[in-house]
Amino acid sequence: MTTTLKPAQVPVRLPRTPGNPLIRVGFRNLRAHKVRLLLTVISVLLGTAFVAGSFVFTDTLKHSFNAIFATGLKGIDTRVEPQHDYDPGVPANLVATIRKVPGVARVSPQISLPAVVVDSHGKRLQTGGAPSEAGGWTPAAESITPPPSFVAGAPPAGPDQVVINQGAAKKAHLSVGDHLHVVLANAGTVDVQLTGIYRTPSDTGGYVGVRFTQQEAKRLLTDGSHVSLIDVAAAPGVSEQTLTARIKQAVPSDLKVRTGTQARDDATHGIASALSFVNYILLAFGIIGLIVGTFIIFNTFSMLIAQRLRELALLRAIGADRKQIRRSVLLEAGLVGLIGSLLGLAGGVGLAYGLHALLDALDLGLPSGGLVITARTVIVTVLLGLAATLLAAYAPARRAAQTAPVAAMRAEFAATTAAGLRRRSLIGLGVGALALVATFAGLNSSSAGTGASLAGLGLAGMVASAMLLSPILARLLIVPLGRLVGRPFGAAGRLSRTNAVRNPRRTAATAFALTLGLVLVSGIAVIGASMKASINAVFDNNVTADYILSSQTAVAVPEPAVDAAAKVPGVGSITRLYGMSATVDGKHKLGMAVDGPLPSVLKLTGTTGATTPTGHVMVVSKSTSEKPGWGLGSKHVLTAPGAARSITETVGGVFDNNQLLDGWLVSGQVYRALTPRTDQFVFVALVKAAPGANLDALRTGLQDATNSYYVVDVQDRDQYEGQIASQVNGLLGLLYGLLALAIVIAILGIVNTLALSVVERRREIGMLRAVGMQRRQVRRTIYLESLLIAVFGAVLGLVLGLAYGSLFTHTLRDQGLNRLSIPWGQALTFLVVAGVVGVLAALWPGIRAARTSPLQAISEL
Amino acid sequence: MTRPMPTTPAPELGCPAASATDVVKLYGSGETAVRALDHVSVELMRGEFTAIMGPSGSGKSTLMHCLAGLDTVTAGSVRIGDVELSGLSDKQMTALRRDRIGFVFQSYNLVPTLTALENITLPIDIAGRKPDRLWLDTVVMTLGLRDRLSHRPSELSGGQQQRVAVARALASQPEIVFGDEPTGNLDSLSSGEVLGMLRHSVDELAQTVVIVTHDPRAAAYADRVLFLADGRIVDELRSPTADTVLDYMKKLESV
Repeated sequence: MTTTLKPAQVPVRLPRTPGNPLIRVGFRNLRAHKVRLLLTVISVLLGTAFVAGSFVFTDTLKHSFNAIFATGLKGIDTRVEPQHDYDPGVPANLVATIRKVPGVARVSPQISLPAVVVDSHGKRLQTGGAPSEAGGWTPAAESITPPPSFVAGAPPAGPDQVVINQGAAKKAHLSVGDHLHVVLANAGTVDVQLTGIYRTPSDTGGYVGVRFTQQEAKRLLTDGSHVSLIDVAAAPGVSEQTLTARIKQAVPSDLKVRTGTQARDDATHGIASALSFVNYILLAFGIIGLIVGTFIIFNTFSMLIAQRLRELALLRAIGADRKQIRRSVLLEAGLVGLIGSLLGLAGGVGLAYGLHALLDALDLGLPSGGLVITARTVIVTVLLGLAATLLAAYAPARRAAQTAPVAAMRAEFAATTAAGLRRRSLIGLGVGALALVATFAGLNSSSAGTGASLAGLGLAGMVASAMLLSPILARLLIVPLGRLVGRPFGAAGRLSRTNAVRNPRRTAATAFALTLGLVLVSGIAVIGASMKASINAVFDNNVTADYILSSQTAVAVPEPAVDAAAKVPGVGSITRLYGMSATVDGKHKLGMAVDGPLPSVLKLTGTTGATTPTGHVMVVSKSTSEKPGWGLGSKHVLTAPGAARSITETVGGVFDNNQLLDGWLVSGQVYRALTPRTDQFVFVALVKAAPGANLDALRTGLQDATNSYYVVDVQDRDQYEGQIASQVNGLLGLLYGLLALAIVIAILGIVNTLALSVVERRREIGMLRAVGMQRRQVRRTIYLESLLIAVFGAVLGLVLGLAYGSLFTHTLRDQGLNRLSIPWGQALTFLVVAGVVGVLAALWPGIRAARTSPLQAISEL
Repeated sequence: MTRPMPTTPAPELGCPAASATDVVKLYGSGETAVRALDHVSVELMRGEFTAIMGPSGSGKSTLMHCLAGLDTVTAGSVRIGDVELSGLSDKQMTALRRDRIGFVFQSYNLVPTLTALENITLPIDIAGRKPDRLWLDTVVMTLGLRDRLSHRPSELSGGQQQRVAVARALASQPEIVFGDEPTGNLDSLSSGEVLGMLRHSVDELAQTVVIVTHDPRAAAYADRVLFLADGRIVDELRSPTADTVLDYMKKLESV
């Protein structure tokens, strides 16, 4: 260099970033380790996205439903409703009574009943969870709420005419003039013609609402003396509070009288809480994501700091104090947390949007409308993300601060030893012992609720204990496993085994994502499998019927459909089961009503006296009969809901407790006498074939007879069990969602750990390359190491999950979960999935490792 | 995996175990290119102990890396035995290093998680072969590692670690052993031990050894010393002593 030095004409440019040089170092580090920090950011993102998503989703729903009810129920000042679902409704004669109350401007009785609407091709409208109902059309002149406007056609005018909401019409491609069938529980199928399509603000996704004329609605949908509810509008100058108070005085005290505002709030609240399960799932995902993410962040920062030992020592040597170093690391973590949570916020909005679209596609009755993002969502998400990151980075930051200035001179990394694991392991053992105590207390608890809670506490303790003991367990499990798996791979196998346990803390933290995921997934799998096994056992042991008539709709099995089925040749007997709600000796109780012979379709044991309720003779289960005053021959007064009439029953028979039957059974005659006509539902009808009848012919006959009711399934016992099992499977779908999340996070964690390990070990890998290890052998070593870590995490999770799934099943044995079934096949699948995930996660780090030049063995660190 | 045993060192001495012909090594390109090796030609004879010396930046390490197949040359040719290195794929080159070359690094470079014995047999294990027990025993005995075989590197002293590294280099009976400052991290006592072992392996086990060093006492163990400066071989010395080497180095640096 021959540049002549001149006096500086241009002053040295000072760094533009103001303030603390350590903050600058923090920023520069973020930039220098982009890929690693990206992985960390993603792990923060995943956790916070689910939290933000749950908030956005709930807020959006609340907001939309608020808007819907604010307009849909506008104008109502007082609403009179029955107190309970099982009450027959509001007496229709109260309409006249309320009209006379001073300050009343208008009274509008409303009728609605669950109904299934079938189009002219026999296809059911709406298959999701949104309401499907029939009601009466309130002419605009009598309407309190803003009357729905017509998109096409006109209001119903005759007995066989209906109108339908726009959403349903659009979805089913209906137009005015179409023929429809409306299936009702009690009246059966009603054939109608569509005269109009109306628009209503409460037209949420999937909702179906057909409206008859008022007279027809009264005839078909009520018992003639009741309406569903009565809405009242106040005259000008009368407040809704005043009006409501006055009406309360005028109507019987067993009715619920609310102001319009309360009614609207309650409606919003009711729907929001019905959908809150979605929210809980999202929050659970978010929390799991954050917990697991915390481990990834901890790992990343630990490794970044190990790598930057020299740099940190240098900073110390030139005079940075411990506090400054710690702050610099925490600042880095804070930035990562901030970026991660902001991205998580965006991700959460996307998630809420996607979820909304998904649930809408499933016709679950979601309103449409923009997403609502509140300040609370933003603040909580960012704070959670920041807190998790800072918490995870705190220990590494402290370690960084303890770096001695002379460490700058040392080239080699300190070897990791088992020292320091002792305390952690002792704590782990202690927590584990406490968890075992809680678990055993739960197992021996007589109450299922307490038992399950204690077992849950035990599980949480065991997971914590497993996490603390995991470094030691890693060594115990991975060494033999590695010997087994690594045997065919020679040196690569041995290296992968020893590398996997080289830093047991890190291995443990890496594997924990899979452990946690698999605890949840395998635990739920055990409960699900046991649930199915228990249900099957109940039906196998108790049901002797040849065919079961049931329905998956709200209208159950329409009574006329059962009448038609009873006439099919080859039917020996048909037994209808009803859910019975009545006041027994002054207290409201739920029981069952049976119409038809019971012993021919159900296996009853330990019977004394009558086996089937007939006339005013009831039969009770053993546990009911053991209650004081319930012995054979005792008399009980049953009163209909709404206190219309009473019947005195005599206990004429006792049977052993049966999981398919309630504590008391009355005859169909009593049921029909006490239950309002519109509330009569056959929830299942059991068919026994006549001796010698051809079962296949019988099935065809039953199907033909019930075909015109559209909603009836004719199934034999196995099919019915299968249908229930598929409902359980639907619940278990969540399980696969959890598995997927655990896998995504686990992949991130493993990629992160391996990528950093590869960088850390580049000298060693360089040496291996120098002494003749082929690239594919290097890759294989990394894949195997990852496989071992993943399988270790999975085994730990599976053991805990299967054990606690079984324990939960045991604590719920009296709740019907009396068969334990461990899905070994599924467990094996989870293990294989974990192994595959391990290898997949190692692909990129493996390729990077294989690219290491042999000269790295000689290079300076 | 069955592979042919590596060719045992040819019995006839005096023919080259490795050779470089007109080797040029450039780092970078264009204006900023650095010429690390400038038309170097050298033959390393079988059964000889060669030391390569030179000031920092003279290209001595680069020459060794190129000879050992750790690095590629820009121009010229390098042979190990009768194999021309240029044109070998990474896979072939790796196999060649594994089967015919031994390495001793300055900082031992042992795998911390493996025992001494596992470290020694590592290249053989990588090749998927069974070690030759007799040879392995000889090497272990010669290096005095009998009692240390089940120890981890962290439980060994620096000298012991480097002896394990030498054993690793010799275990697969390579045609040539390269050492990159093999005594750079050792005190003089351990240093003497390790060099004595290398000397011994040449004299008693008929090995070929090449080391890069800047320590005249280390070079004194060699049969032949090559001096490099500015990427060229400037001189060589036969049957050196520490004094003659030191004198020569002084002369070289004063130029």
